Amino acid sequence: MSSNIVRVETTPKLGEGMRDVRGDSVKRQLAADHGIEIESVRSIVGFLIASEITSEDVEARADDVFADPIIEESATDQLLLTNEELFSNSPDMIVTIGFKPGVTDNPGKAALDGFRTIFPNAGENARVSTYLTYAFNGVPEGIEVEWLANQLHNGLIEQALFSLNGEDAPKFEYSPINPSDYAAPATIDLEVSDEELIRISEEGLLALNLEEMQTIQAHYRDPSVRQVRASLGLPENAPTDVELECLAQTWSEHCKHKIFAAHIHHIDKETGEDTEIDSLFKTHIMNPTLEMKDEVDWLLSVFHDNSGVIAWDDEWSMCMKAETHNSPSALDPYGGAMTGIVGVNRDILGTGLGARPIANTDVFCFGPPDWEGDLPENLFHPSRVLRGVHAGVRVGGNESGIPTVNGAIVFDDRYIGKPLVYCGTIGIMPRRLADGRESHEKNPQAGDRVYMVGGRVGYDGIHGATFSSLELTEESPSSAVQIGDPITQKKMLDMILEARDTGLITCITDNGAGGLSSSIGEMAEYTNGCRIDLGKVPLKQEGLSSWEILVSESQERMTVAVSESDVEAFESLAALHEVEATWVADFTDTGQFHVVHGEDTVASLPIEFLHDGVPQLRLESEWKKPEHIPFKPPETDSHTSLLMRMLARPNIASKETWVRQYDHEVIAQTAIKPFVGVERDGPGDAGLLAPIHGSTHGLVVSNGISPRYSDIDAGAMAAAAVDEAVRNAVCTGVDLSKVAGLDNFCWPDPIESKKTPDGKFKLAQLVRANRELERICRAYFVPCISGKDSMKNDYGTGENKISIPPTLLFSLFGNHPDVRYTTTSDLKPGESLYLVGESKQELGASELAFMLTESGESDGIGGEVPRLPEPEKNLASYKSLTKAIQSGIVRTAHDCSEGGVAVAIAEMCIGGRCGAAIDIDGPGDADLWGRLWGESLGRILVGVKQENREEFLSQMKGNHLTYMGETTDGDTLSVWDGDDLVIEANVEEMVSAWKGSLDMNGGDQ
Amino acid sequence: MSDGPKVAVLFGFGINCDRETAAVFDLAGGVSERVHVNHFVNGDRDLSEFQILAVPGGFSFGDHLGSGRLLGNRMRFAMREQLSAFVAAGKPVIGICNGFQVLVKTGLLPGKEVPDFEQRASLTLNNSGRYEDRWVTLEFDPESPCIWTKGITRIECPVRHGEGRFVMPSSSDLDELDENNQIVTRYVDPSTEPGKGITDETLPFPLCPNGSIRNIAGICDPTGLVFGLMPHPEAAYATFLHPHHTRGEVNEEILGEGMQIFRNAVDYARANL
Repeated sequence: MSSNIVRVETTPKLGEGMRDVRGDSVKRQLAADHGIEIESVRSIVGFLIASEITSEDVEARADDVFADPIIEESATDQLLLTNEELFSNSPDMIVTIGFKPGVTDNPGKAALDGFRTIFPNAGENARVSTYLTYAFNGVPEGIEVEWLANQLHNGLIEQALFSLNGEDAPKFEYSPINPSDYAAPATIDLEVSDEELIRISEEGLLALNLEEMQTIQAHYRDPSVRQVRASLGLPENAPTDVELECLAQTWSEHCKHKIFAAHIHHIDKETGEDTEIDSLFKTHIMNPTLEMKDEVDWLLSVFHDNSGVIAWDDEWSMCMKAETHNSPSALDPYGGAMTGIVGVNRDILGTGLGARPIANTDVFCFGPPDWEGDLPENLFHPSRVLRGVHAGVRVGGNESGIPTVNGAIVFDDRYIGKPLVYCGTIGIMPRRLADGRESHEKNPQAGDRVYMVGGRVGYDGIHGATFSSLELTEESPSSAVQIGDPITQKKMLDMILEARDTGLITCITDNGAGGLSSSIGEMAEYTNGCRIDLGKVPLKQEGLSSWEILVSESQERMTVAVSESDVEAFESLAALHEVEATWVADFTDTGQFHVVHGEDTVASLPIEFLHDGVPQLRLESEWKKPEHIPFKPPETDSHTSLLMRMLARPNIASKETWVRQYDHEVIAQTAIKPFVGVERDGPGDAGLLAPIHGSTHGLVVSNGISPRYSDIDAGAMAAAAVDEAVRNAVCTGVDLSKVAGLDNFCWPDPIESKKTPDGKFKLAQLVRANRELERICRAYFVPCISGKDSMKNDYGTGENKISIPPTLLFSLFGNHPDVRYTTTSDLKPGESLYLVGESKQELGASELAFMLTESGESDGIGGEVPRLPEPEKNLASYKSLTKAIQSGIVRTAHDCSEGGVAVAIAEMCIGGRCGAAIDIDGPGDADLWGRLWGESLGRILVGVKQENREEFLSQMKGNHLTYMGETTDGDTLSVWDGDDLVIEANVEEMVSAWKGSLDMNGGDQ
Repeated sequence: MSDGPKVAVLFGFGINCDRETAAVFDLAGGVSERVHVNHFVNGDRDLSEFQILAVPGGFSFGDHLGSGRLLGNRMRFAMREQLSAFVAAGKPVIGICNGFQVLVKTGLLPGKEVPDFEQRASLTLNNSGRYEDRWVTLEFDPESPCIWTKGITRIECPVRHGEGRFVMPSSSDLDELDENNQIVTRYVDPSTEPGKGITDETLPFPLCPNGSIRNIAGICDPTGLVFGLMPHPEAAYATFLHPHHTRGEVNEEILGEGMQIFRNAVDYARANL
């Protein structure tokens, strides 16, 4: 325990050129979200320093560590609010917010680091915790201080103190991190009834079903197992709590993807089909990819590592991974999203012998930000989820120095129940290390030492993997929520990449779901055994029980294997980077996952049973075509006003104010940014990178997602996602001979049960999505090299259950020959406009159908949903178009998605601040509504300089191509249907409609 | 290439732009090396091995307690002698974005003829309250002693920061900087004629992206050797990184207008060191 606790507070100086921007931001946010105008908000940052240093000594150096003397006032062991010179106007309300003990306090960590620079003798146990105080003046009538406090903090991880004028200012006190309640390893008797087995699983949050519990029970009845256990001094006929927890983590849906591996009996009521499917994953994802792998030489590593790896050129390989962090983001949007992004970065760092993350993508699905309906208990308003998730990804990505190059935000009411937070990362690594080893392959040997590198293990993050395999309820545990620490991770990343380049790493993986249990457990498969000593694991707080240390998912940790001869070099590299690296285990070849805690063996499980023992699920699937009232266009001819309304729809509107807060060009490689065009505010279709400085060799990154098509057919939804990702990449001129994909499924629980009576249907949706995924990926030759699924995206049970629409995010990365030869969506003056692809009468589940149904102008969203009956034809036109782009004659292209041709051409006018006149009358059977607003797949609008028209036409020969019209010198978009002018819209008015609706910042100044 | 001046590019503790900063110095004819800050702090390497020092952008220590402050402190207390000697030897130093914040907080900028490591200015939260990534137009003081910006009138490059508003305690401090031509570069309205964009009146957002007083984007020390700026010229090293590169015909030239700053320092070191 440190002997002194000293308080330092700082607040911004006011006056000439000085202001309290933090306070102003809170003021603006309250105005933007709640329409509350507060006169002024001022902020105070507080530090509570527990150390060996006295108050006097701290005070003398306060301006060297805590306060910036040019812009801030500080006070030591005094509340600034009591300083009448600085706070002459007594505030109406005061709110002070600090972290609960044990929650990651990044400013506190940094402050301690700075404190030690000045006071090297601060003491081994020195600690700094921080808090923030807001003082409000001129609060409107009717606002309660408690309500205000609730808007500014999340009770799950923070505590708030508040007071009113006339009362004492709240005083946040230092609270030490209390030791956890240690429980000695226990034995769990499994020789009990089936009901009792289920009770053990449920009460322990193990998320294991009866068959799985019975499989574990049977394991401990095996005489040979009992013999081994006796020799180790373990209870012979029952698991220890450490073993049971370890199995629950390893066998969780999150880690084992049991639904994708299940045996499925599938019935199709529409066609009469009745089939058996042995694993959706093997049938529709793995096997097609392996077959494609035989045809090319660039698929280096698929499925078995933390991310899939492709050969980008002779010197470099690229890898990509995308994951979701939905449940944690629902409980704490900021922390959940931040751990999502830094977590997927670690998957890249843990690929092969370590890849360097070079780009992030993020795709979010939220409830409508302007939602005015009821909210179930325990759920945040969608605008708060959006704000928190955005902030988490912003901090996680920006501070890590990884650009966010592409993404999307999708809105639907049902995501109120569970937001989807997809985070993706791309990594690069040299094909070969200096010592000649291929970097995409791990090569540990028995006898290698296993280090835990980075952060420490704490009570935070226990049961994340099993928790995410359960539905969200009011009782969801808070220990599943964490806040990321990007700087600890960045230091670790710098250190590990240096260790890789000097050849010190034989094997590496990240600590994510399941903690050390999963990371060391998975790596131990290479050598067939390991021995872990939990007593060596550095802890955030004392008193953690053995099983907690083993399964805790505390962030910012990698597990690295180092051969005995490199131990010294590895440890001194860690010291240089100020990264904690602790020898916690050894690889063996005993066939056992062997865990000791100090002297005592606390677990021993056969590696084979741990990884392959989980029984296959048997599930029932039944497809019945859902019934919808067909979408019927209203009696209106004002397509211009429909266009303005569509441009302001959250699903279409500009997300610029949000996305611009991500650093999208750190590393100096982003050749196509999220914003393009004259004013740099038009939509970018895909990210295009030139990762090697000085070279023009490129990499394309894109995403496709269209969850609402699942309302009609989840198969069509999946096909649309793949096509959209490919279409976006085609717009940049991607090299279609080297493109790889990632499938990320987020589904509501598809297992039929009392709480999920429609499970068979939801599983049938999954079957159809997988079938279409396979069909389109094969047709386009896009192998899925890595994927993930999250299968319990529901809130609550019974009648009030909210299930998300079945959602597939398809992410793609592909080769690009030369980043100079590419396009953007903004129109350039003097271009002729063409439509690649065919418009069909496909308005079912379109954005227009949803908009007009929500407003009551249509009765339903039903009808034909966009489909891809002949993907070979699409591919042929994509190939011709990419060739034309690579030849330099096409500089403008934009894909048609939500809102069809009308929205696409409007966005192109916005980006180019340019008028256009097009005629949508053309071939095909679609009517005016279908051609204008329909979302048929495979379509790209292209602009070609008039002098390049002939060459373009000859390059596109044989493909479906329609001449649409020309750009104009004016500031109007005119859309004709033959002789009828159906849209006449002013470009600046379109800009206002498109940019106005999602700007929730409350101003810029 | 191998006889070019040696450039130390700091990394570690959340510095993020070390790789591209090293790369642009190499493209400019220098020989760069990414060196972990602790090599200099521990004394197993010495700044005197190098002719140019770069403190790149990033989020050193997460920018907690104010951007650049904690790294600034490490350098102020643990690298004081080496830094003094480096500057006394007439060697160029650049701080970009977080690196600029670091140099301001160590006191090297705006600094004195002989460094006294006293902080005289600060970079604080943008008036918008937000971190933003957007391209800006910069114009340069042709009279400035800054060796990094010779012959440059105007360039475009991105800002990527949340704390870029330059402040000093009083306007007379700023007047003094101005008189010494230490206000090297400012945000300007791109619609003005090149060479005539500089104004003292703070431009509206987003022309001046952070509300910086007198639109200050970067300053130098009295010698012109130490230069810091919030925008990222290294992120404009290539023509294809410019947001408008698709608006015209394909430009076969790879190197972009951000390069000149780095070429200037490499040429200076070649000629003088």
